Amino acid sequence: MGERKGLGFLSRIKDAISEAVYGIALHGQVASIKRMKMYTEYLFMLMTIGDMMGIPIVPPYYTLRLLPYMVPNIKGWKLRMLRERDVTDIISG
Amino acid sequence: MTGVVFDTPAPYILLGLIVYAIAYLYYSKYVDRNIWQADPTRPTPAKLYFDGVEYFPVSRYVLYGYQFKSVAALGPIVGPMIAVHFYGWLPALLWLIIGNFFIGWVQDYSTMMMSVRREGRSMGPIVYELLGGRARTILLTYLVFYLIIIGAVFAWVIVSVINGVPGSFIPVVVILITGYIFGHLVFRMRVDVVRATLVALILVFAGIILVTAVKDLRVPSTNFLDPGVTGTQPASWTVLFWLLVLSVIYYLAAITPMIRWLLPTVYVGYLPAIIALVIVVIAAVATFITGVKIHETRAAYVGGASLEYFDPIKYPTTGPIWPMLFVTIACGAISGWHSLISTGLSSRQLEYETDARPVGGGAMITEGIVGLSSVAAIMVVARGAAQPGALDYPRGAATLVNALIPLGPDTWLYFYSVFVIIMGLITSMLFVRVFRMVAAELFPAPFNHYLVSPLIWIAIVVFLAWLGSWTNLWLYFGGTNQLLAGLALMVVAVFLASQRRPTWYVFWPGAFMIVTTLAAILWETYVYTAHLMQGQILSVQRPVAVKFGESLVHFTNALSAIFGVVLFILGLAMAYYLFTGYFRYRSQAEKAS
Repeated sequence: MGERKGLGFLSRIKDAISEAVYGIALHGQVASIKRMKMYTEYLFMLMTIGDMMGIPIVPPYYTLRLLPYMVPNIKGWKLRMLRERDVTDIISG
Repeated sequence: MTGVVFDTPAPYILLGLIVYAIAYLYYSKYVDRNIWQADPTRPTPAKLYFDGVEYFPVSRYVLYGYQFKSVAALGPIVGPMIAVHFYGWLPALLWLIIGNFFIGWVQDYSTMMMSVRREGRSMGPIVYELLGGRARTILLTYLVFYLIIIGAVFAWVIVSVINGVPGSFIPVVVILITGYIFGHLVFRMRVDVVRATLVALILVFAGIILVTAVKDLRVPSTNFLDPGVTGTQPASWTVLFWLLVLSVIYYLAAITPMIRWLLPTVYVGYLPAIIALVIVVIAAVATFITGVKIHETRAAYVGGASLEYFDPIKYPTTGPIWPMLFVTIACGAISGWHSLISTGLSSRQLEYETDARPVGGGAMITEGIVGLSSVAAIMVVARGAAQPGALDYPRGAATLVNALIPLGPDTWLYFYSVFVIIMGLITSMLFVRVFRMVAAELFPAPFNHYLVSPLIWIAIVVFLAWLGSWTNLWLYFGGTNQLLAGLALMVVAVFLASQRRPTWYVFWPGAFMIVTTLAAILWETYVYTAHLMQGQILSVQRPVAVKFGESLVHFTNALSAIFGVVLFILGLAMAYYLFTGYFRYRSQAEKAS
């Protein structure tokens, strides 16, 4: 919220309202879409570098070619993939 | 002047707003600082487990909006509609105000903080950790019951409004199609969201204006398949027709990719809904200017704890004010469903611990305001003789708003009818989706298949909505919902006890909710059992008996009684786990100190 400090009172109110409207209208959708993308990426990562999590796959030529593109996602992928999940997780969207 | 002001809903709603302000500004601040000791410098799960998908810091305003949208649906509208009818507007208003002050926001905020302190975990894993596997299984079973019962009640309310306001389904169809168009524009054609939203808003309002302006479009007429029938009655062919229409919508919502239809439809549906909610709150407060008075039939029935309600045969669709009022109004005062929302996405995306108060507590208090506006809307329409009508709210809201913005009562009646239908519809579309997910986890094959499990939900929902009594179903819904609330509050008490923190502010509300809700479920079971034992049928079930014979009614009532027994036993078992767990942690904390 640090960037708000320099703004006037009305601007802060305007920002707060527009953020709340975004929260009401779009945040849930964005979260769902991100989750969908995440599950699609799971498949892709598992097929290519699944051996990093102990799933035995023969590293093909393409894995090495794609590795530079995957590196930024590997940490987050491992974190999410190994996280405990429960039915009650799905309720909030 | 005094007489005029106190004749309107305004002063009572203002009283509620003042109490809510005190709850937020003082009580919640006290709890936040002294019990949870929220610290803005302590890293939240959003920062600790940042992954950019589920865990990442989000502004408190965005999360407040998201939390409010997730908790506010038809609940704070239907509950007051029934409660004001049976118990009068004053007890309903007082429960909304006092319930939210001491219990409502307390639950939403506290479960959120508990989840924040537990790595952003949801209720299932927290219950498992604190109380064991059986307690978690009971929680999930309650979830299944909850989803079925609320689906049935919402289906009945939706059908009642569609049937009672001919033509109101046309704007709904427009919204459903607009949802698909919006999704196509944004996700396929990459049209800017603002432009696509403008297109969607124009289409949505065009649908409502069209049916208001062109009276020939108001088809099909009320009870078009049942000539001679008045009102919306169980077991009528018209109701079955609309329930089958809803079934098709629910099934499509359950099996189609979310991104193609369900998500955009939820977005498009919420646009007019939020506008409707804001306007009705303003109109309720502005009644001291507009002069809309409390209807004389409501003014004559300020509050009633009728002793006759102790007779389950004479008054089968209600019961004694304690415990039944406290389950009749759930959302707005206290709702267990919110604990599941608070421990989901919101707790994982809080930027600072101190944001839990505006997000969790603030959103619940805002929902309380929606509940207050519903009471105001019901106060200004006539009280029906026997049963509360599902049309009471749209009629009342139209009366309130038309006095402030005089576009014509018909315009507002259609606007608020569409609002009620669409709010019920989109939340039910999400419920069937959640049921599908829960079934995938809990049910054996082939019932866990994604094409099969929605059919199970739809079949039970249609059966209950078509043949049951909607107010009794609502009481069961209140029972499951409020027991979830009691459970959530006690889980927080167990958690705080394990952390050696004060527990009084969640323990007593939790204990009250558990005892009250178990009593309510027991009462409801007694109502059905008494009817079975005496060979009676509920007055609202008469059309079913006439059409299909009394045996079917007895079968339905037996099923409902079994429902009640199962819910009661599960609730009792859960209470046992919670109380023993609480005292175990307390004694451990005392020994350690």
